[in-house]
Amino acid sequence: MICREHIRDAFHAAVPIMLGYVAIGIPCGILCDSIGLGPLQVFLLSALFYSGAGQFMIPNMYLAASPLASIIASVSLVNTRQMLYSASFAPECQGVSKRLAFFFAATVTDESYGVSTAKFAEGGWSVDRALMVNLLSQSSWALSNVAGALLGGAIGIPLNIAAFAMTSIFICLLVTQRMTSANIVAIVLAMAGVYACKAVGLTGPAILVGALLGVAGAMAYASARDRRIVERSAQMDAARRADAVGVAGTGDGASGGAGAEGGVRR
Amino acid sequence: MSWGEFWVVLVVCGLTMLACRVLPLFLLKGRELPPTLSRALGFIPPAAFAALVANDLLTPGMLSAGLWPAGIPLVAALCVVAVACKTKSLLWSAVAGVASYALLTLI
Repeated sequence: MICREHIRDAFHAAVPIMLGYVAIGIPCGILCDSIGLGPLQVFLLSALFYSGAGQFMIPNMYLAASPLASIIASVSLVNTRQMLYSASFAPECQGVSKRLAFFFAATVTDESYGVSTAKFAEGGWSVDRALMVNLLSQSSWALSNVAGALLGGAIGIPLNIAAFAMTSIFICLLVTQRMTSANIVAIVLAMAGVYACKAVGLTGPAILVGALLGVAGAMAYASARDRRIVERSAQMDAARRADAVGVAGTGDGASGGAGAEGGVRR
Repeated sequence: MSWGEFWVVLVVCGLTMLACRVLPLFLLKGRELPPTLSRALGFIPPAAFAALVANDLLTPGMLSAGLWPAGIPLVAALCVVAVACKTKSLLWSAVAGVASYALLTLI
């Protein structure tokens, strides 16, 4: 299953994520160092928790003197969006061994989710390649974090600029989505939802609430559109049938064509 | 942060994270997905990435203290959109984002 070809495929797909993780992992490690976490602790977080947004939030909130319970609740709420990613990979993991599915699911991040979804949609992709993408990304993340923790404040990287690498990756993943009308409804509602949540102070669940609002809105839009299509074709069928009955009475052989035309005109 | 606090954060956040990552997949795996659900799953990527981008870029009242420098991330984001549309590359997008953000900060 794990052959050289698959490793090469996975490496090609993972390179942008790995480089992006160097750019944001080092500042994240520096930030963790600033609240007194050592390289071992930073490594444990990267290996067992493995969350870019989460590992930025922990030191940021700790520096802002938030209580431990509030840090944990906010970080966990932000990470509930992972449930959406996990659910979306269920079809791809059909017929895959439990262990492979477990390790793949346990190492999915925002960025590797984006890359894997695109690769599965392209075709010629598999869960073992996707797992390797995850593990390569995680190695890059862990090493960069440890490097950041070792460097500490010795180098002056402006953290807000470095963190923009992560935002840029999300923007790229967003604009490369297919821009169907339903997807645009999802995007606009998700953004509005995040903004509204933040406006009323719900910063922790903002991402999850916004994303769910986007999905719900797009579903409502798509099913309303389906209903319109079904109604219109039902109307046309009814009109066609009425015409067919009328024309059949005259004994005209060309009833089908005449009926269809009548239906369209109505 | 002490080791005691660290362990609490690591264990609780690690476990909730693992549950969020693994449980939905195993609950849905091996079942015939109803068409409504698979349609909803298809809307997750655009909605999730839009939410993540909005979370990074938008804060209520962000421009109330003046358009600049608060507008830097928004202008840098537009540069990233242009590069992403043109190249479809995560790496180039990240490079363009960080470079334009840094340049705009220097101006």
